[in-house]
Amino acid sequence: MVRERYDAVVVGGSLAGCTGAILLARQGARVALVEKQPDPAAFKRVCSHFIQASAVPTIERLGLLEPILAAGGVRPRARAWTRWGIVAAPADRAAQGVNLRREVLDPLLRRTASETPGVEPKLGWTATRLLRDGERFAGVAVVDRDGNETELVARLVVGADGRDSRVAKLAGVREKVHRHERLAYGGYFSGPMPESAPDGTVYFGDPQFAAAFPTDGDLVFYVAMPTKDRLPEFKRDPEKALVDFVSDFPDPPPIRESRLVDEVIGKLEMPNRVRQLTAPGLALIGDAALATDPLFGIGCGWAFQSAEWLADSVGPALSGRGSLEHGLKRYRRRHNRHLRGHAFLIHDYSTARRFNPAERLLFSAAARDRKLAVRFDGFATRQVGPARMMATTVPRSLYVSARHALARG
Amino acid sequence: MSTEAAPEETVRRERLAVGPVSTRLVEAGPREASEATVFVHGNPGSADDWGRLAKAVGGTGGRAVAFDLPDFGETEAAPGFEHSTGGYAGFVAEALATLGIERVHLVLHDFGGPIGLVWVATDPDALASITLIDTGILPGYKWHTLARIWRTPVLGELFQATATRRSFRMIVDRNEPRGLPREFVEEMYDHADKRTRRAILKLYRATDDPGEGSAEFAALMAPRDVPALVIWGEDDAYLAASFATRQREAFPSADVHVLPASGHWPYADAPETVERLLVEFVSRVGASAD
Repeated sequence: MVRERYDAVVVGGSLAGCTGAILLARQGARVALVEKQPDPAAFKRVCSHFIQASAVPTIERLGLLEPILAAGGVRPRARAWTRWGIVAAPADRAAQGVNLRREVLDPLLRRTASETPGVEPKLGWTATRLLRDGERFAGVAVVDRDGNETELVARLVVGADGRDSRVAKLAGVREKVHRHERLAYGGYFSGPMPESAPDGTVYFGDPQFAAAFPTDGDLVFYVAMPTKDRLPEFKRDPEKALVDFVSDFPDPPPIRESRLVDEVIGKLEMPNRVRQLTAPGLALIGDAALATDPLFGIGCGWAFQSAEWLADSVGPALSGRGSLEHGLKRYRRRHNRHLRGHAFLIHDYSTARRFNPAERLLFSAAARDRKLAVRFDGFATRQVGPARMMATTVPRSLYVSARHALARG
Repeated sequence: MSTEAAPEETVRRERLAVGPVSTRLVEAGPREASEATVFVHGNPGSADDWGRLAKAVGGTGGRAVAFDLPDFGETEAAPGFEHSTGGYAGFVAEALATLGIERVHLVLHDFGGPIGLVWVATDPDALASITLIDTGILPGYKWHTLARIWRTPVLGELFQATATRRSFRMIVDRNEPRGLPREFVEEMYDHADKRTRRAILKLYRATDDPGEGSAEFAALMAPRDVPALVIWGEDDAYLAASFATRQREAFPSADVHVLPASGHWPYADAPETVERLLVEFVSRVGASAD
């Protein structure tokens, strides 16, 4: 039996895993980065690739913003079509996210990780079991493509292996599942850009949902997220159904005049998974920790951010300063403080219910008032939490709605 | 230089004598064509509902016709006219014969659906294609609240007698996700005079179950697989959008579009989308019929 020793083993070499490995290694930790895909150019195929503005500071810290832009990435603002009009903050007040296709972004990030001193990539290796030291997790047993097993012993195991996390299953952590009642079908199209390009537009059809995200290579990623009763249309002819669905919205983007450049990819089941974030010697990040409805385009951003929060929380302990358990507790608190409120609202809306009265009030008022649109933008780009958003928007929304009603007579 | 005649894009508005009834006719495209797109309005619609779409179909070079049903719009029914789906279907058949139309691309909305489908059942060979806008076969349908009021003696008369322009506008707009163009609602009200209001009560009271015969109709039509386009406003408060895909029971190859943030009158609240879908469809099935 081969046995290797590290400070941390990160399982999963995608956005969260690479980010976590880079930031831990920069603090002096020796990190094994285990990824089951042997190809360094492998990338996640089912993803809207929209990175919210909340994650841009993390990307800058990684030193990736310039390489992303050099690779053709764009800096979109977010705008929302609603039945009351467009909700969009003025260009000079709206936060900008990042858009770069995963087939470009993932290899770029993986290359950055593998070039980071202290990170040891193990591509083509699969986690088979977790090592334990009493009550603590103490590493991961992995096998290579030929079935040779190696034990990677570490003080911290990081599960960054996505929505269906194998690490979480092996660890037996608690998990709560919230139902998700929409489908997702999307694809990259070449053709005329939407008028609002490079800004992304989401269409709240209530309850139907679609989005258009201009991205690198002069492409636009169009995605439909219909309620599940629309499945037969999408199974029958995914491309036609996607084009019809998007172009049946009022004021549609030019998908009908565009050409599909690859294939339409669909995902039928995407339950929201909320997992226990930590256990002794173990932490989960990215989708492995919290896999929420992709409708709001938050998965990529939260992958970067949660990895950063973990690295900042446990990094000192892994390099011999402070307690690892305290570090894990700090991570838990930070993750919950930033994401729990957002996740609660997202899970509630992912049941494909219609807008509730509060949402109708906020959306209708934000479509009519620039100040509200700015405040809403902070929330939608996940820089402001739900409580602060409600406190700063509800009173003005009531005022704007009353003014509108009086003006209508 | 091409010698082909340019598509006729103007809409002609004139009167048409259908037996003893003088109805309003809205027509576009070649006047003598025996194949035409025929629009049948619902309640409380009229031939005016279809001006934009008739013009668009005429622009493709095809013939398009729409007319008032008796006691709707500005058309008075003949004495003794039977205000039922059968009575109105008979009027449609007579109007088509008068217009010399033998092959029909039918476009139906609302109560124009049950009326048009009764006509189809009597002459299915004449149907070249069908476009169903918030209507069609309605298996298991339960009348909406307004219809239940209209169907109740005394209450229905009371409702119709007390409906004002303002209350009419409120009732219509309340159920529409994005509201309707003001002039469209005003025009509907202008046409809903006492005669029309009485006709509405008679028609609804003569129709106990709008879903009756759906299975038999589907059995008759499904083997024919007539080209069909279904357009339905997702937020239709009167006829639920869940009926949209059920139209495939009668028209298996139907192209179904459920429009987000659209209500009972998609051609009024999503006119560009409906026009695009209809023109594409009529152009396609018209060409395939050649």
